[in-house]
Amino acid sequence: MKRWLFWGALGVLVLAYPLLTADSAVYQRLGALVLLAAIGASAWNIVGGYAGQVSVGHAIFFGFGAYASVVVYTHFEWPPIAGAPIGMLLSVLVAAVIGVPTLRLSGHYFSMATIAVGELVRVLSSTSDYIGGAQGLGGPAMPRSVFDLSFLSAAPFYYIFLAVLVLLLGLTWWIERGRMGFYLRAIKDSERAARSLGVSAGRYKLYAYMLSGAFASLAGSLYLCMFGFVDPESGFGILISVKMVVMAALGGAGQLFGPLVGALILVPLEELSNSYLGGQGAGLTFVVYGAIIVIIARFLPSGLLSLLDRRKVRRAD
Amino acid sequence: MSMTLVQVVVSGLLLGAVYALFSSGLTLIWGMMNVVNFAHGDFVMLGMYSAVMVWTALGGGPFAAVPIAAMMIATLGVASYFLLVRHIMKGPMLAQILGTFGLALFLRYAAFWTFGANFKTLPDTIVGGSFVLGGIRFEGSRVLAGVMGLAITLLLHLILTRTAIGSRMLAVSEDATAAQLMGIRPQRMQALAWAMAGAATGIAGALIANFFYTSPTVGETLAIVAFVTVSFGGFGSVLGALVAGLIIGVVESVSAYAIGPVYKDVVVYILFVLVLWFRPQGLMGKA
Amino acid sequence: MAGITRRTMAAATALVALGLAGNAAAQAPVKIGVVYPLSGNAASAGNYEKMAIEVGAEIVNDGNADLAKILPIAKGGGLAGLKGAKIQLVIADNQGTPAAGQNQTLRLITEEKVVAVIGAYQSGITLTASAIAERHGIPFVNPESVASNLTERGFKFFFRVTPVAADFAKAYSTFLKEQKAAGRKVDSIAIVHENTEYGNSVSSVIGEVFKTDGLNVTQKISYSANSTDVQPQVLQMKEKNPDVVIFISYTSDAILYTKTMKELNWKPAIMIADDAGFNDPAFVKSMAPLVEGLISRTSFAAGKPGSVAAICDALYKKKTNGDGLDDVSGRGLQGFLVLADAINRAGSTEPEKIRAALAATDLKKEAMVAGYDGVKFDAKGQNILASSIITQMRGGQYVPVWPKANATGEVALPYKGW
Repeated sequence: MKRWLFWGALGVLVLAYPLLTADSAVYQRLGALVLLAAIGASAWNIVGGYAGQVSVGHAIFFGFGAYASVVVYTHFEWPPIAGAPIGMLLSVLVAAVIGVPTLRLSGHYFSMATIAVGELVRVLSSTSDYIGGAQGLGGPAMPRSVFDLSFLSAAPFYYIFLAVLVLLLGLTWWIERGRMGFYLRAIKDSERAARSLGVSAGRYKLYAYMLSGAFASLAGSLYLCMFGFVDPESGFGILISVKMVVMAALGGAGQLFGPLVGALILVPLEELSNSYLGGQGAGLTFVVYGAIIVIIARFLPSGLLSLLDRRKVRRAD
Repeated sequence: MSMTLVQVVVSGLLLGAVYALFSSGLTLIWGMMNVVNFAHGDFVMLGMYSAVMVWTALGGGPFAAVPIAAMMIATLGVASYFLLVRHIMKGPMLAQILGTFGLALFLRYAAFWTFGANFKTLPDTIVGGSFVLGGIRFEGSRVLAGVMGLAITLLLHLILTRTAIGSRMLAVSEDATAAQLMGIRPQRMQALAWAMAGAATGIAGALIANFFYTSPTVGETLAIVAFVTVSFGGFGSVLGALVAGLIIGVVESVSAYAIGPVYKDVVVYILFVLVLWFRPQGLMGKA
Repeated sequence: MAGITRRTMAAATALVALGLAGNAAAQAPVKIGVVYPLSGNAASAGNYEKMAIEVGAEIVNDGNADLAKILPIAKGGGLAGLKGAKIQLVIADNQGTPAAGQNQTLRLITEEKVVAVIGAYQSGITLTASAIAERHGIPFVNPESVASNLTERGFKFFFRVTPVAADFAKAYSTFLKEQKAAGRKVDSIAIVHENTEYGNSVSSVIGEVFKTDGLNVTQKISYSANSTDVQPQVLQMKEKNPDVVIFISYTSDAILYTKTMKELNWKPAIMIADDAGFNDPAFVKSMAPLVEGLISRTSFAAGKPGSVAAICDALYKKKTNGDGLDDVSGRGLQGFLVLADAINRAGSTEPEKIRAALAATDLKKEAMVAGYDGVKFDAKGQNILASSIITQMRGGQYVPVWPKANATGEVALPYKGW
């Protein structure tokens, strides 16, 4: 009974958040930003957390989604969100192309390969004039219709992102409970053992990578709708990839709500410390940000949600 | 072969030797304890600032800057090991990325706060001028960096493979528990590895500062170069890092000249991915 | 007698109360949002611009006797049009990302309640930051971003004070043609540019304008910003040996190229640097002895003593402990003064009134800090009187040499270097 009350209250809080913060545009937007980051990190979690393949190049898919949206607007005058399915499809294909050769690599080598491919994509994107080259492309300056998804208030963004996140987490939960989840856990624990038991590790890792890429792409398209601009650095930059990893790891990779917890900590931390410390211009924002990440990594290497595991174990005694 | 092409190759080799030097620290740590230090670029950056401080505060050139930078970054390495790395090693590999990324941000912006955002350069006069040898133009500071890079990387390799303490370190990297049973203290060896890696990195930074600009964010660019060099050469292999560094330096230089500077990165990355595909453990890594 | 006294007392009290209230209202500071990169790769430029704008606020609030002779707004005591309300700068760091730029601008508008925003250096960030300002109906003054699409969005609240790439290209073209007429070789031109938004946009515009004007671009070298080594590029140029080289680079690359050119002992007869990195005080401080005779395009030159530019330069030097105003910080200060002037004329903190005052801006050449012909905005928000000056490095300082009206020295060619 108590558990239902807890989750119910939490659910109401989550749904009512934009209404509770209606008189503060900044806090309303913060909620939307947390959810958007959580979508990206949760997408990463599928292949990085559950399957244990630490990709540090997921910005490739994020960038594809953002660019797909801005390109359909710039060249065909469609609403940017119409580019989202295109971006997702492209990302799935690109994930297959990248995944087949790189997923054979283990551990650090896979990560390094994804970094290299990510940087490759970023550098190449700045040479193509069709997608704006190094200058980037801007979305609709003023919304032409509601379909342009360019809202003044952050509340509609909040609910859209929430819906996508719920969908993604639901999908992840369903996979986790099913056979694929079982296989991914086996692969993560010991790929060799899994293979010897007949699990086609290569195939399942690839599926996870493709699915993960599709949703990272959706996050990119949604980003473009909200911010209205993308260029090689803000679409494909390595910092985007690293942030997805850090958020998931901080909360707890391989846990359903890990990325969301990570986003709940890191996004407000970054925004609020910039707001209070940034003006001095001494970069104190990032000193604090870095220090907090170091402290959490030092004391909770498996992420914040591992605190709950410890409590569960203690209760079981 | 035109004189210009020879010049391009030579400059590539000198640059590559420098890449090798600051990558050797990274590969040592990776090999010894399977830890990838995402803050590596910022260690180099702090080595560079050490050299700048030695010049502005003491008026000293490389002969003073190199040992001081070596000591400072070695200390930083050992401190990082005891305060952070030792603990994140107990966690999943992800914890390494998390922890060392946080460390990178912290170091980078601590430098920003201390030294300001402006670029600093060391004057040309410290390691003077350039000279012509066989029709090729050599710049003093680059030659110094390249030659020392080569020397120190080889020294590191020799220490690891030919000395008693080196074999103890390698024993720990192979199997820490077994090494412990044989009376070797793993934590000491690992701390020593961080000290040596730190020293090499600090020296690299101090040497680069003579011909490259110093700023708090310079670590970002250098880190990626180091990662590619180390993966290319094979983790754990200092000699591999040396060979990889030289190859990458030359490939970069020649591609920039022949195809165009923007594409030089593209060529290196493609080459890198190809090598990983056909020889996943890198050129000289353990299979 | 008592009745009159009481009535007078009441009237007097009311008058005093009104006077106090009036004064209290006049004392409320006018908040202006300032959004610049204070961390990340562009932090050096961002910090200089911030300091320039702070100098501007001090001029308006505390006044400056020399300036006040030319600029009424420098009389001090705040904004006269708002009964002496002082300007309060609210400064935010855009961290070099379009997302942070937009988020911070939103915060400045909705939480800090600024009446106008000035920013944001990088064109992509100016795009996103000004978009949110437009949605909220807050004026956005942009002193330095050059992307052409910024004034193509049909915005009413966006005002760009700086010239754009097309203006720079025209300035170079005219200058080079004059040199050609004076007998110098201008047959082969190389453009070396960094590969991000700034370098690409300016170089492509220069290419187009030169083509129409009959100047021959023989080499275009595009390189990744923040390269570790540029020897191959310099060797490429040494081989082809163009008569003119135009650099479009940020500070770190400027330093690298200068050092490499000395290392490889090559210099063109005419070397031009399109502002940016080569005008950064950090570059000038360390590299000036190696680039004697370097031609640069700038919108700021300290100029004749007693001019607005010279006085402001001296004030700024005091704040920065010796670094003078440069192209970026000079334009920043100019943008701020335009905004302050508009708010003053509007006589109100209402955004629409400020917008109208901005649209009606008509500042003359004598009142300029930057080397513009004046400030007057067209319907798109672009300052049509923005222009550039060509300067030359002489003995550690950039000296204006063109056009003749701004020049304090003669052009000395060929390029000397080190």
